Amino acid sequence: MSDNDIIIDTKKLTKYYGKRLGIEDVDLEVIRGEVFGYLGPNGAGKTTTIRTLLDFIRPTRGSATVFGKDIRQNSVEIHHRVGYLNGELALYNNMTGEDLLRYLGNLRGGLDWEYVKKLAKRFECDLPRRIQGLSLGNKQKLGLLQAFMNKPELIILDEPTNGLDPLMQHEFYDLLTETKNEGRTTFLSSHVLPEVEKVCDRVGIIRQGKLVAVETIEALKSHSIRQLEIHFARAVPKEKFSVLSGVRDINIRNNLLTCTVVGSLDALVKASAQFEVVNIISHEPTLEDIFMTYYERENHVK
Amino acid sequence: MLNNIFLKTLRDQQRSLLYWILYLITIAVVMALIYPTISKMTAFNQYLAQLPEGMKEMFGGAIVDYTSPVGYFTTELFSFMVPLLLLIFGIGYGANAIAGDEEKGTLGFLLANPVPRWRVVADKFGVLVVSMMLLGLFFWAGLTITASTMNIDINILKLGETTLGSVLLALVFASLSFMAGCIKGSKGVSMGVASGIGVLTYLLNTLGGMVSWLKGYRFLSPFYHYMEPNTLANGLSPMHILVLLAFVIVFFAVSIPAFNRRDIAV
Repeated sequence: MSDNDIIIDTKKLTKYYGKRLGIEDVDLEVIRGEVFGYLGPNGAGKTTTIRTLLDFIRPTRGSATVFGKDIRQNSVEIHHRVGYLNGELALYNNMTGEDLLRYLGNLRGGLDWEYVKKLAKRFECDLPRRIQGLSLGNKQKLGLLQAFMNKPELIILDEPTNGLDPLMQHEFYDLLTETKNEGRTTFLSSHVLPEVEKVCDRVGIIRQGKLVAVETIEALKSHSIRQLEIHFARAVPKEKFSVLSGVRDINIRNNLLTCTVVGSLDALVKASAQFEVVNIISHEPTLEDIFMTYYERENHVK
Repeated sequence: MLNNIFLKTLRDQQRSLLYWILYLITIAVVMALIYPTISKMTAFNQYLAQLPEGMKEMFGGAIVDYTSPVGYFTTELFSFMVPLLLLIFGIGYGANAIAGDEEKGTLGFLLANPVPRWRVVADKFGVLVVSMMLLGLFFWAGLTITASTMNIDINILKLGETTLGSVLLALVFASLSFMAGCIKGSKGVSMGVASGIGVLTYLLNTLGGMVSWLKGYRFLSPFYHYMEPNTLANGLSPMHILVLLAFVIVFFAVSIPAFNRRDIAV
């Protein structure tokens, strides 16, 4: 991987709003062609990071580059190559969708209107309508359209699926995949785990302004907490399980064992194999579970 | 009309501009139509002559002959009403241009495009200047045409010069409001600062005519540079015009770096 392939690179990026912490010492690398998910609860610093990258707000400390260009010195050039959707979407209410897109196209130095029409059809956008009368979801679709319409090298999306119905979410995921297949990069923030799992290659987890972990989706799942239910043919002794590392909260009732597993399931599966197993049910970890994993880890280190 | 920020902003203004133009033309026409009646009220002049100096100042400075066309138009239009209306428009626009968009959340949306911040400031300021010039132009046209048809004896060039003075005066406070928006990003603060300083400097000028210790500070008031030359009688005074222009240029010049260096609100 050459330096050329690092699309976003932040070094100790820190932003304080007066005394209030936005983000602190964020070191992030986003690689060409990947879909990078930026995951965290509301107020964790996702939007702050994005707005710093776009030069809307200025870092208190640290630095960052996009396409290898400094975000402060080269913001106009960077904006030329970036598509952006803001989190709290506010569009010009007095314009029609079509006028808005043409205006943005002009500011960006041109537009392939055929492609816009194709996207509008896909997302069922009512372009001749005034934005004022559009529903939240329809505004969001228009916001997505303008972020993708210039086929930018990097697309930065702040909570992109806000207000989209499931059908449109699906369409959006497809568009992301196509973008990825064309070698373009996406950076998206979200607080919805299943969404990030579905579309992202890697995930950065941010909490209270600090980047807690950067992982591939697989790795993320591998050391997350999982709720497990194992149905046995007959009663099993609790001691066999309570000695296993990473297995907690064991509860056995009527041949049914429930427990919490941190990380690998290997030890538990091997111990269970000594008995006759009827069924194993694994509950997929929720975002909260995953956050808990990292929070706990952090606290253990302390 | 969607080629750049300037044209798009002007397009956003078109409805508001249309109403303001109609409004100003109506005032110009009505005031000119009323004049023949006023001109016959010579008793009014005797009343004015008895007023103390300070009160005369409030009625438009050195004007004694109220019933003459110059006296009438200066008092009724240019000493208060026209500058006030232009000020309201200008301060409102100035506060809306940057701070208003910022509060609505559309400014970040605009700045995500490949346009430098100074360009946003310059284009929006350009629309302010053009809008106010248009208001002045249509007001002057309305006044001139009506005055000419009514055979009122007034120099239409000087009417134009006085209107230009009003526009410049209003531009001073409009660009102050604009600048405050660039610095602070709050519409309320912008309007408050500009109208507050507007009222204070207006008082400074009028009271400065009566209170001797204030006299030395009158030159600080844009109103002084607008009223003092008595433009409708004497024509433009280049020196006073330059002072007003200087205010506008300084406020604009501060706007660009002020907006450039600060964080944009969500």
